[in-house]
Amino acid sequence: MLDLLAQTGLNAVYAASYISLVAVGLVLIFGVMGVINFAHGELFMAGAYAIVALYAGLNVPFFLAVAVGLLFVGCLGLLMERALFRPLKDNPLGGLVASIGFLMILQALAVMGFGVRMVHIPPVTQEVIAFSDKVRLPVARLYVIIAAIVLLSALWYFLKRTRFGWALRASAQDPEAAALQGISITQTARIAMFIGAGLAGIAGALTAPLVSVNPHMGHSVIVTAFIVIIVGGVGSLEGAIVASVAYALVHTFVTTFWDGVLADIVGLSLMLVVLIVKPTGLFGSADRA
Amino acid sequence: MISKIVKSGLTRRTFLKSTAVTAMSAGLPGASLAAGKTIKIGFLAPLTGAVAAWGKPGLDGCQIWAERVNAAGGIKLGDGSYSVEFVSYDNEYDPAKARTGATKLIREDGVSFIMMLGGDTWPGVQPVADKTGMLFSTLLPSDLSPDTSTLIAPAEVHPIYNVTGVEWLAENKPELKTAVMCAQDDALGLPSVATYLAAFEAAGIEMLDEPLLFDPATTDFAPVVTRLISKNPDIVCLDTCYSDYVHPIAEQLFQQGFKGQIISCTADFYDQMIAKTSEEFMEGFVFQFPDFDDPALNGDNINFTDPNGFYAEFNTRHPGQWGAVSWEYASIMDLWKAAAEKAGSASPDAVAAAMKEGKGKHAFGDADWWGTELFGIDNALVGDWPVVAIEKGKARIKDFRSIPDWYARHGDLLVKHMKAYDQMWDQRS
Repeated sequence: MLDLLAQTGLNAVYAASYISLVAVGLVLIFGVMGVINFAHGELFMAGAYAIVALYAGLNVPFFLAVAVGLLFVGCLGLLMERALFRPLKDNPLGGLVASIGFLMILQALAVMGFGVRMVHIPPVTQEVIAFSDKVRLPVARLYVIIAAIVLLSALWYFLKRTRFGWALRASAQDPEAAALQGISITQTARIAMFIGAGLAGIAGALTAPLVSVNPHMGHSVIVTAFIVIIVGGVGSLEGAIVASVAYALVHTFVTTFWDGVLADIVGLSLMLVVLIVKPTGLFGSADRA
Repeated sequence: MISKIVKSGLTRRTFLKSTAVTAMSAGLPGASLAAGKTIKIGFLAPLTGAVAAWGKPGLDGCQIWAERVNAAGGIKLGDGSYSVEFVSYDNEYDPAKARTGATKLIREDGVSFIMMLGGDTWPGVQPVADKTGMLFSTLLPSDLSPDTSTLIAPAEVHPIYNVTGVEWLAENKPELKTAVMCAQDDALGLPSVATYLAAFEAAGIEMLDEPLLFDPATTDFAPVVTRLISKNPDIVCLDTCYSDYVHPIAEQLFQQGFKGQIISCTADFYDQMIAKTSEEFMEGFVFQFPDFDDPALNGDNINFTDPNGFYAEFNTRHPGQWGAVSWEYASIMDLWKAAAEKAGSASPDAVAAAMKEGKGKHAFGDADWWGTELFGIDNALVGDWPVVAIEKGKARIKDFRSIPDWYARHGDLLVKHMKAYDQMWDQRS
């Protein structure tokens, strides 16, 4: 039983890692730009396809491919900011609708470029850290956990300790006041979009060898990310991380000890309970909700 | 008179078409090649989207089939030879789009027969079938019911053939005593769960746990696998999981240290699974869909024309894309062609009647139209089915087993488990 608990705990840590990377990116974009990016799951998918093209297709070393994938998806984020969100910045609903359109474009491009079927990606490594016969952590999963810790720590440092980070937070709290202080709202939007998209991209790139890569893989990711940011509090980075961990723990343990379908119901129930008890989410404030 | 016929289920279009063909046959008894004449066949399946793997390779196989048939002189009906042409419509596995597609294929394209994957899309199409009397085929006989008189399931009796794999395993590896199972919670997964439960019970293999159902949107299978192997089963059964699930589950089984037997309905792209695990890990993996370069398919019992050549041609044109359905739609066309030639007509009614006269020439041997107990109608063609195992990295047919024989001995178990999962035809909504 202890082995089962330990293995389930490791599974939950992995799940929390990639979910938090995606959810924090989504929260950052919403916090700074005020738009709900429905194409965020497809940015995750774009990161995975970067691995398909570079690592599986061109034999580029895996971590170099991941880095290129991050930059590529970050640039996709910049493109979205310039082409979609900036022209529609006074129309939050317009931004949302535009992101849905972009979602479809990305899916169609993936189908055109790589076909409709799942794509095979050779394993990065088959090494497994065996704590016992029944408690094992594949090294490829450890990469995702390490990346989440390093990147989210770096993001925390960036936001709390650098001038750009302060500008970003100021823009998120009160764009008009920030602009009056000489902060370029356009510049902060670009930075937020690049980082937010890049986080989704790197999550997709790192998990690509571990999941089935297909043009529709972003769907379940975005649903989970929305649950997480609602539970954590829309606009709260800390809330997104805490909620990612909570959701991953609940979902993984319920799947393992009861049922995968029940786990989804429990996850959604968790969101409903939070909305009833604290409509702004665990860490959200009333003005953001 | 015409209105009476239409009321009896035959549409005016069908009636006129049949009459025209009959009149032409009578008037031109000596007609030879009907130069330039083409019979159109509808292909209504998911060609994009998550279920495209069970549509697109089938269309690719049909194109090869059509080229071969046309090169050999086409389809010979009462008034001469016709070339065959497939008209495809991507239903994206959406019932509404399937309905639109069926209407378009019948009204605008004038097809004589429509092949479908079926499943979730059939309820959208059924009203069109009822109204027009068009002959449809499905790969999923769970679509059948007494109300679907123009729907046939001539290629596979999913999931009933899965019993053959379990039976073979029990006979050839009697040391395997316990099993666990997982499946996606959908119209494809649940009847297969019931079938495997019946097969394991019939084989005396104990289920250590209730089947673990997961949401079809699942992407991380580590928790599912942790649960599956927590009770040290001899066998892990992957049910009829989509290949998008079979691959990551197999990889997780490998990474979490499982060393027992795996059985699955399909193992599409198993070479990729071997690449993600190891040849040793995949050795003995049992499933139900052979590669068509298998020497066992060259036997006299096989009705599929030149399976080895078909497989080679498919892989030349679509390398790495061979899957469970690559041959199935083409094998349905073999049956349809034989029936149309027997009837001397492409009329849906005439073909259906000719098709159901006597034994059916199923790809894996002569078979019977069957299904009243399970589906409420004898519109499924059932006979032998192959059991396939991976040996040294290559799928090989280990045996052909009779589904009717198994059913005669254990049908009560299958009905019991189907009822428990609400999968009998009169239980499905």
